[in-house]
Amino acid sequence: MIRGDSMAHLVELLDVYKIYGEGLESEVRALDGVSLTIERGEFVAVVGQSGSGKSTMMNVLGCLDVPTRGEYLLDGTDVRELSDRQLSRIRNKQIGFIFQQYNLIQSLTVLENVELPLIYQGIDPIDRRDMALEALERVGLSERIKHHPTEMSGGQQQRVAIARAIATRPPIIMADEPTGALDSHTGLEVLAFLRELNNEGSTVILITHDNGIAATARRVVRLTDGKIVEDHPQDVDWYAPVQRAKKGGMDL
Amino acid sequence: MNLWQAVKMAWKSIWGKKGRSALTILGIFIGIAAVMTIVSVMDGYKRAMTAQYSAMGTGIINVTIYDWSYDEQGNDVSKDYFPDLRAFCNSLKEVQGVSPQGRLYNVTVSYSTKSTANMRRQLDDNGNLIGEAPPDMYYGSDQYSRCNNLTLVRGRDLAALDMSKYNQVCTLGADAAKLFFGTTNPVGKNLMVNGTAYRVVGVYAPRLEDNNTGYNSNLDNIIIFPYTDQRMLGGEKPNEFVVKLRDSNKLKEVKARINGFLKGVVPNENFYVYSNDQWQQAEEAALGMVGGVLAGIAAISLLVGGIGIMNIMLVTVTERTREIGIRRAIGAQRASIVAQFLIEAAMLCGFGGLVGIAVGTGGSLILGQILFKMTIYPSFPVTLGAFSLSVAIGILFGSYPAAKASRLQPVEALRAE
Repeated sequence: MIRGDSMAHLVELLDVYKIYGEGLESEVRALDGVSLTIERGEFVAVVGQSGSGKSTMMNVLGCLDVPTRGEYLLDGTDVRELSDRQLSRIRNKQIGFIFQQYNLIQSLTVLENVELPLIYQGIDPIDRRDMALEALERVGLSERIKHHPTEMSGGQQQRVAIARAIATRPPIIMADEPTGALDSHTGLEVLAFLRELNNEGSTVILITHDNGIAATARRVVRLTDGKIVEDHPQDVDWYAPVQRAKKGGMDL
Repeated sequence: MNLWQAVKMAWKSIWGKKGRSALTILGIFIGIAAVMTIVSVMDGYKRAMTAQYSAMGTGIINVTIYDWSYDEQGNDVSKDYFPDLRAFCNSLKEVQGVSPQGRLYNVTVSYSTKSTANMRRQLDDNGNLIGEAPPDMYYGSDQYSRCNNLTLVRGRDLAALDMSKYNQVCTLGADAAKLFFGTTNPVGKNLMVNGTAYRVVGVYAPRLEDNNTGYNSNLDNIIIFPYTDQRMLGGEKPNEFVVKLRDSNKLKEVKARINGFLKGVVPNENFYVYSNDQWQQAEEAALGMVGGVLAGIAAISLLVGGIGIMNIMLVTVTERTREIGIRRAIGAQRASIVAQFLIEAAMLCGFGGLVGIAVGTGGSLILGQILFKMTIYPSFPVTLGAFSLSVAIGILFGSYPAAKASRLQPVEALRAE
């Protein structure tokens, strides 16, 4: 449970390691002594090539995975001390996930997908429906709530996923390559939406391999081989993704 | 997450794969149908058996005395124990009535064109009676009807005076009256018994609703004569007696007292005192054993059905690993995942159970007709039990796949294709 200790950093990684096959010759250090703090209201891009450990970092930050060593304080709480129940509640209430592959449940309708986190919160059906519809309206999908994800385009599916992420009004949004499967125009829409959420006060953590996309964030954390090699604020360049796309070769 | 949500989710997933779900529940459905049929047919037969016994009356003690003696000419000079037995029994406040109860054989009864000489008890392949069966003939005292759960509907009962005066009279069971007289009133009419006229003085009400089944002797196709006539009718001296109690709970106690009395009267303890609940218990025990074996076989089919459910649920968990990962990522606790798969398994089996109950009900009706000529509906407890059993199987065999699903690490589950 997040204690709401306003003095603490929102996210604090202290010398965190995630090691697969530790001690073996084939040992992989996905995170190799990472320390990082993120404050409330930041818009952070975590950039790195594939295999740099950026997805592992998101999994750790999102309480989907536990570090091999090191401390992770979420709003001052050491997540290693939390039970499955408490971790589930954090994922449910504090974090909204947006994935590259959308990760919608195909057998459920759009509305049911967006309602799902609210169901796990135990919100009663009428309020739940209202909250889900509100979220869908924000992403401009209030018309197609009875459709199944397979009947929609990639961009629409990602908007459903965003609606699901924001339906519970979480303080943290974690987006793992949210534009990776989208065309450049749709990708920009998604980025603009993340920006909007950030302006409204949400902390946004954006994971990407694309420097152009990372340029839309106020702060860049660059990972190479599980280590942070760069961490600095930057001027936001809204046009970087477009220019890179125009130069060709780079998909958003 | 509340239960209703979980049930709705499970229903969606079952309905989404109709064909597979139907095949999955096949084992459960067959098992439940078999269990239902076996249990309810056994149950129905037991109820019919109990009805037969209670039609004969409860709280009944039978006494047999086998003490015969003959003079040098070979004449039967055996002692008649009935007066002694009656005197003793009438002194017991628990006893309602006492009577000799002997069967008469080689007696020909006729009225007009109908004669028992032309009647035979014959059954067809299905156990149905063919044609007319001759009535069973008994002799008894004025308390015979009381001892045998018979109630008079016409005329009068046998009286003590009929015994002492050696009156040539008789009473008829409902079916015997119908046999000889059809719809006309038999009271006052004369039956020819071995060539001698016997006046019908009374007719009893039917004891069983349905006497159509040929396997059991027809309790209403009977003629009762005063026991004092038995020597004339070629019967033996009364050696079988029936004692009817006011309260069937006193059976054991009264049996012991009659035993004690007869020990002092009959030489060499040549007598036997028993109650028909002994037969009933023995028959029930035998029936229970047969039922147990059959139920065991049905239970094995349920076990196989349960393993089938477990297999399919394991496949489902594997197929839906990614879905589990997504649910975990957006806040489902382990318990929610367990509940989801358990409820799905329980619902699957519950549906199997419902179909099984429907088929089992049909099976009970058909088998009951074929085997016992009875209409057997499964009782409510059996139906409820069958349904609970199927749901319990779902929970039992669903728990391993559900636990497996809940133990998946969210991050690994999300990586699944």
